[in-house]
Amino acid sequence: MAKILAVDDSASMRGMVAFTLRNAGHDVSEAENGQLALDAAKGGSCDLVLGDVNMPVMDGISMVRELRTLPAYKGVPILMLTTESHTDKKMEGKAAGATGWLVKPFDPEQLLATVKRVLG
Amino acid sequence: MGSKTTGGDKGGARVIALPADFRLGSVADVKAELIDAFDAPATQLDGAGVERVDTAALQLLVAFRREATARGQSPSWLGISDVIRDAAGVLGLAQALELPAPMPA
Amino acid sequence: MSKAGLAQFQQVFIEESLEGLDTMESSLLALDDGGDAELVHTIFRAAHSIKGGAATFGFPEMSSFTHEAESLLDEVRSGKRPIDASIIELMLRTVDCLRGMFARAQAGEPLNDAVAEGLRNELAAAMGRGTPVATTARRNVDQADAWTIRFRPHAGMLAGGNEPLRLIRELADLGELAVAPSLDALPAFAALEPTECHIGWTIELKGPVKRADIAGVFDWVEGECDLEIEAKHVVADIAPAAAPVAAPAAAPAPNVADAGTARAQREANAESSSVRVSIDKIDGLINLVGELVITQSMLDTFREGELDASRIAVLEQGLAQLARHTRELQESVMGIRLLPIASVFNRFPRMVRDISQKLGKQVKLELIGEQTELDKTVLEKIGDPMVHLVRNAIDHGLETPDKRRAAGKGDTGTLTLHASHRGGNVVVEVSDDGAGLNRDAIVAKAIQRGIITSAEGMSDDAVAELIFQPGFSTAAVTTDLSGRGVGMDVVRRNVSDLGGTVTIRSTQGKGSVFTITLPLTLAIIDGLTAAVGEERYIVPLVSIVESVQLKADAVRSVAGGGELFRFRGEYLPVIRLHDAFGCDGAIHAIDDGLMVVVEGDGARVGLFVDGLIGQQQAVVKSLEANYRRVQGVSGATILADGSVALIVDIAGLVRMQGRKKAA
Repeated sequence: MAKILAVDDSASMRGMVAFTLRNAGHDVSEAENGQLALDAAKGGSCDLVLGDVNMPVMDGISMVRELRTLPAYKGVPILMLTTESHTDKKMEGKAAGATGWLVKPFDPEQLLATVKRVLG
Repeated sequence: MGSKTTGGDKGGARVIALPADFRLGSVADVKAELIDAFDAPATQLDGAGVERVDTAALQLLVAFRREATARGQSPSWLGISDVIRDAAGVLGLAQALELPAPMPA
Repeated sequence: MSKAGLAQFQQVFIEESLEGLDTMESSLLALDDGGDAELVHTIFRAAHSIKGGAATFGFPEMSSFTHEAESLLDEVRSGKRPIDASIIELMLRTVDCLRGMFARAQAGEPLNDAVAEGLRNELAAAMGRGTPVATTARRNVDQADAWTIRFRPHAGMLAGGNEPLRLIRELADLGELAVAPSLDALPAFAALEPTECHIGWTIELKGPVKRADIAGVFDWVEGECDLEIEAKHVVADIAPAAAPVAAPAAAPAPNVADAGTARAQREANAESSSVRVSIDKIDGLINLVGELVITQSMLDTFREGELDASRIAVLEQGLAQLARHTRELQESVMGIRLLPIASVFNRFPRMVRDISQKLGKQVKLELIGEQTELDKTVLEKIGDPMVHLVRNAIDHGLETPDKRRAAGKGDTGTLTLHASHRGGNVVVEVSDDGAGLNRDAIVAKAIQRGIITSAEGMSDDAVAELIFQPGFSTAAVTTDLSGRGVGMDVVRRNVSDLGGTVTIRSTQGKGSVFTITLPLTLAIIDGLTAAVGEERYIVPLVSIVESVQLKADAVRSVAGGGELFRFRGEYLPVIRLHDAFGCDGAIHAIDDGLMVVVEGDGARVGLFVDGLIGQQQAVVKSLEANYRRVQGVSGATILADGSVALIVDIAGLVRMQGRKKAA
């Protein structure tokens, strides 16, 4: 069981991710945008962050950059949820400190496989 | 931080207890303790309580062992958790860390 | 992993996407009015979310469609392409098309249609390419049975969360590994920055593995490490099809195997619907329940001990509190179903713009009271009647600029939608400052259609009422705008099905006002309890005009079996409830019972009952859900004594009566 923070402004996407991971026994918290995720992250560390790229208030790229300034989030895997059309976003995310990405669309099995890949 | 150095001498050796979560977030603190350990005649690393470990942590131990050996100290292991053994095996660092063969149970 | 568990998010996805489309549309319209660049980001984000979720939740057609729109928006967003009227137009049509796709998705129908196909090609053409081709990025597929991998992370790789431990473990899944670290770059202990990586690895991998699979392990660390993948033993007996020059393997195709399951889920979803409730409302409810629990425990103390005078005062106080909390709780729970009418109003700016352009009219739309809340069910059903009234107002009410000038008015006509709460009702007015109803034209049409024989003595209001008669249409030519085979009679019927009324007030040359009055909720109605034999019926208060005790000779039988009585100068038909519902033991003599004058479907009738027992609020239970639809009954409720009373559907009863008469 790992502590996972799921960040997406889309309730359906976030819900699907959280539901799938909770079913797999993980402890999942949710945040609606980068700013709320950052607030949550300041309250404690976690084992993995899954974040959407396009979000209002604070987008995923800025969120990664901010998270990486927190000592507790150095080296914590952060995966960007992105769409294949945005290769430049992947690279921008990487440059900001993201660990990797998960390309939308993904199904629960792909999500779990990727999470397993990161968490070992 | 999981556990701090006991600072206690055991037969003249400094015992350093490695933290349970021995990863990127704690390597800087462990490094500071290890630097102090160079002053002792000998060091013993206690890794029995290590539950999580990463490349940075093992890299730190490899660098420490090299430095200590160069100074004529011979650091030894007081305890090694399975997690350390497994990670060292994957990274090919078991030899560089001079991990003793596991004791038969 | 249960697929069924995920179905709930499909419904959430559809709902949030429809909201996203509303946002896209209003932002596009604002952009059309010269809005700022931030709007483009908002539009892009909405399209992006729909695209991202569509394929995940089983709508790959929608995803690829939105992809085209998103690419176009991306060019606008990044300044590569100026936003102009043609793009806004194209995007507005995209919004419409996606709405259609979502509607089909909810109905479980195939998503694509000719419109979607055409629009997809238009979008692709706007992007400067033909029919979109799936990109077939290919990796080197050469295969070997042994590999040497030289992997040296850059110093910063660890901080980014990529762990060599994980990467090497993944390689171990591919085949047998021999891992040799290279420590030559490891700095002296004091100089070591412990969070940076200074170790490299040479890894021998044995096993029949493709290069792409190895590269795949390292996909996230491209640019964060030096990587060499070298084949040691090339597999000799590769099948020709697997040779590097082989036809490109199929692009990752959307998983179609699950299409059947997805369809089944969609069908299951079509039935249920949900309401999104603000946290504030939920918190308010929790608060009230808390109060209720406190009151209950306070009342609980009366189980023990003597009930003397001083304690009775406290008990009364407690009961009053309980009554207050119960009422507040009821209001709050009802409030959960209440949503602002804005979601309906928001359709109109677009529609008014399109219709007025088509007709060469200048129309200013004013929306007032968008935050007025009403029941979700009412909200969902009020859209169509309002669309009809608005189309009608632009089509027939408002004049062309030259006609307006001739009438001494400004070029631009004003159409106002005004929602407000009035008592327990929601009132929605659709008004225009156009030509108003033309009495002569209406009279001529009504005579031609055989609705009346002469308008002599008819008041203007009575003439205006004629437009609600079935078969009446004021337009000489059915335009493609308001002519959808729907007349004002259908508008009235739709509204009365919701327990509401529509009236018109018009002044020739000045304009018209249509007033729709709706109940706040369909879940609770105010009604009078009527006794008919052993049965009890609830007559909705809104439809009651008056109740009168008649003399035996006030009711006359007419040819064909009907009965009439005179009420304020009109003859009204009588509906005996005991006849309509077949009740035993009811009063038959007119002077022993009570005549309740009610109004429904634009007509007044007398409802003959034994007597009225009292007024009460009735919680409506669906008869359809628990039994089946019954003519003349809109639902049932449980009375204080535990017995069931049926709620009379006045409009339905009037229609029943009309059919009986016609038969």
